[in-house]
Amino acid sequence: MRKKKEKGLYLSDRPPLTPLKAVLLTISYILLFIYVFVILWPLAQIVFSSFNGSQDQYIRIGGTYEFSLKHFKYLFEETYFLNWVVNTIVIAVATALLTLLFVSFTGYAYSRYRFKGRKASLMAIMLIQTIPSFVGIVAYYTMHSIIAAVIPGFSRQMFLVLIYAGGGIASNTFILKGYIDSISTELDDAARIDGCGNLQVYRLIIMPIVRPMLAIIALWSFIGPFLDYMLPSILLSDPKQYTLATGLYTLITDVRNMHQPVFAAGGLLTALPIIILFIALQNQLVSGLASGAVKG
Amino acid sequence: MRYGTTIIDDIGNEHPRRNLRLAEMGVLEERLESEPKEKVAQIKSELKSLARGEHEYEKSLADMRAEEKAFLAKAPERKTAFEKTLTDSDAKIRKWSLEAMESAARVEFYEQHVELSYDYELLARTHRMMAEQLPEIASKRRQILDELNEVTDELERAKKEDQSQVMADFRQYREERLKKRNDEKAYLKKLYKEGQISSKAFANEKREKDLAASEDIRSRKQLLPIEMLTDRVRYLKHRLRQDEKQALTVLHSDIADLRRKTPIEISKRFPWVSYLTIPIPGLGQLILGQSVKSIFFFIGTLYAYLIAIPYALGRGNYRGQGLFGLISLAKDASRLDRSVIFMIEGVIAIILLMIAFLIFYQSYRDVHKNEQRMIKGIRINNWFETRTTASRSGFPYFASAPAALVTLFIVLLPIAVTVLISFTNYDPSHQSKFSWIGLANYKQIFLGQGIAGGPFWLITGWTVIWTLLATSLAIFIGFVLALLVNQDRIYGKRFFRTIYLLPWAVPAFITIMFFSIMFSPDGPLTNLLHQLTGQIINIKDSPWGTRIVLILLQGWLGSSYVFLLCTGILQSIPGDLYEAAKIDGATGFQQTRHITIPILLFQTAPLMIGQYTFNFNNFSIIYLFNGGGPFEPSKYGNLAGSSDLLISYIYKLTIEKQFQGIGAAITMIVSLVLIFFTWIGFSRSKSFREEKL
Repeated sequence: MRKKKEKGLYLSDRPPLTPLKAVLLTISYILLFIYVFVILWPLAQIVFSSFNGSQDQYIRIGGTYEFSLKHFKYLFEETYFLNWVVNTIVIAVATALLTLLFVSFTGYAYSRYRFKGRKASLMAIMLIQTIPSFVGIVAYYTMHSIIAAVIPGFSRQMFLVLIYAGGGIASNTFILKGYIDSISTELDDAARIDGCGNLQVYRLIIMPIVRPMLAIIALWSFIGPFLDYMLPSILLSDPKQYTLATGLYTLITDVRNMHQPVFAAGGLLTALPIIILFIALQNQLVSGLASGAVKG
Repeated sequence: MRYGTTIIDDIGNEHPRRNLRLAEMGVLEERLESEPKEKVAQIKSELKSLARGEHEYEKSLADMRAEEKAFLAKAPERKTAFEKTLTDSDAKIRKWSLEAMESAARVEFYEQHVELSYDYELLARTHRMMAEQLPEIASKRRQILDELNEVTDELERAKKEDQSQVMADFRQYREERLKKRNDEKAYLKKLYKEGQISSKAFANEKREKDLAASEDIRSRKQLLPIEMLTDRVRYLKHRLRQDEKQALTVLHSDIADLRRKTPIEISKRFPWVSYLTIPIPGLGQLILGQSVKSIFFFIGTLYAYLIAIPYALGRGNYRGQGLFGLISLAKDASRLDRSVIFMIEGVIAIILLMIAFLIFYQSYRDVHKNEQRMIKGIRINNWFETRTTASRSGFPYFASAPAALVTLFIVLLPIAVTVLISFTNYDPSHQSKFSWIGLANYKQIFLGQGIAGGPFWLITGWTVIWTLLATSLAIFIGFVLALLVNQDRIYGKRFFRTIYLLPWAVPAFITIMFFSIMFSPDGPLTNLLHQLTGQIINIKDSPWGTRIVLILLQGWLGSSYVFLLCTGILQSIPGDLYEAAKIDGATGFQQTRHITIPILLFQTAPLMIGQYTFNFNNFSIIYLFNGGGPFEPSKYGNLAGSSDLLISYIYKLTIEKQFQGIGAAITMIVSLVLIFFTWIGFSRSKSFREEKL
């Protein structure tokens, strides 16, 4: 049925607005809009300066504005931006897939099977996940040269993927295990009686139910490489191999290479898809963070 | 251990001994304890001769073995005789029938000798089972095969025949059904236009009608002869595979059941095989007759002797010397060799050895357990049983093995190396060769001495201030925003929520770098400050300026996440709480103070602890904003800047300035503190308290 509004009749279930409350409400609105400005102003500056053709190496405010795409042109023609995008996406996808593969098995095994050493290894997992990921930075570089000597063709990026995925195993196993625990075992028992093997039970029964959690795990493993600066800056040395974070940083540190508006353009292109992703999936992402709250 | 007069099978039933020699020995051993001393010598000598195998029973057993050998030697002759009676052409059916006939012959043979030994009893019963079940399996297969042939023929015929009439019928049905669906949909649309049903109901109903129509058409299609026959062929082929698998599994489990109920007699009394075969995993299993299982353990043996041990001794290393590298740290090696590599390879050697040791231990335990079972009288698993148990109880091990290996080498190995490096003098003057120096690094740090250890306490102080202020600010902003936005009189909640999400959604490195640009000398915000205050304030050159801006910036960045979390929780607070409060006369402010804030604080507490540890380690914001600067050499020396956190200091020490030794020591301290705090946070979390491990 369509809603019909009748004028002159107070229909709201809230009490009428008193003058004091009206003042408070106005203050609330003012505060909220001030913060909207605080958030949007810097972000708007990124957008403006990326399209401002009158700036060259440095970003200035209050100068003349002239719409132009030359910074984007520079970004695609003079820098390795496309390489960085491809590198980051490849690393992110590989990390997400590898994490899913590892974690599906471990989460399932720890949730559904009672085996010797289970409790001890769970404690170990909890301890491992509290150890911050930067602990190994001294060893990573040398470790890569050792592995590369044994397996030729083992690139630094592959090692990066292994570090991201390996570092995520402990906490993600814990998250997924908790999620599978909440599913009744009667379903798997029924499947087993019908002749399903271990993997079939996972593939046909568990996986369809835990898909939302798998999606969250995959999403966070995918976003991780986009946001990380430290590990790629340690491991990758060739500008062509850089990820977006390390690559864009070269545009604002190196004096010879300094192009702040170009950085803004690259930042804009990088941020847009991620912003869309975050806005579209905000509820899932927050719940994923909440269940992974243990990770420091 | 004594022989005793009875043995126990796997289920726990006692059986009398059939090996008369062992039974007699058991009786004598019992007498040995009760009889007076003078007879002891005589009993002992009797026992000795029995132990040498001098007994009538052994002779009859040897006779029987010879007979059995002759009988088994005739098997090929029997096979050719049976083959003549077979008419079926299917290979599997032939095989099963032959096996069944041979089994029948063996049943006849073994049944005469059942009393002699439990082995013969088991053989007789096993073969009886096979002689009974195999023909059944074969005849079932024949039945399905016949049906399959028939249906296939029918299908061929149907394909040749003219199907146009049937197809036309089907098409007509489909058109009618689709038309009916369209009519229904048109009616729905009319209802919707008139406002009788909502848009949601309209969409749902439409989908339902579509589904129903396609379902009807599909089931009608399956009535077409060709469709039906093709389906039938597929089904029969599936049955052919599935039935066979199932029937054979039943047969094997029946046999396994027999094995559990029939004991075994061996004269061994001490599990020496397990001790003797410790050095060669797999050999013990082979000796006990578990040949397939032994293959897996032999692979472990190969791993241990060809990979782990040679590696630990320095063979096949990249540069190092295996375990010895850990001691020497490349001291006497060539000029090009680096201590780090020796150290890492030493740690790898330890890990490989540990895995090898695990294999040895598992194999020993396996053999030992099985041998003890055999001595008791229990038959050990054959391959079918091993496979069944391994696929169930072994699954978690196989499933987590890859993840465990990766964790071992990618996570634990670097940690171990960092721990070790913190005890060395790995610094700029010892880049290639360093040596053990004990706790000197830790001493330097705690006393604040040396170039690298000097600024430690200053940096720690700032790190603590930063962690507390930046996180609290972000939490405060997020909290207040969430409370403001979620007042029920505020309109445009979605709009505010989307805007406030942005600082979290934009990759932090981009915003940080951009703010860094804006605060650079001559940057936009520096100019703005200049215009506002009339003074030239260069934030990046002033220690406290940088610090305050960093804290504000983190407040800006971190508030989004807190805001989102709090919003989620606020929406989940049940409304009746507020209603009850209102009835009791609570004002809006009181409701917020006594209901909203306690619930928010309580539910977000563990996550907020996470925020504090996150900021403690917030490398990006410090490093990307001002590189840890500005530098104050008089206070911080040349290695650190005045806004450096411990984590960025570690990064500078290990990656940029080559003070890896001290960097590792600081890493250790920081990690221990962090582990402690996250552990506290975790032990208070719900899942831990409820012991839902």
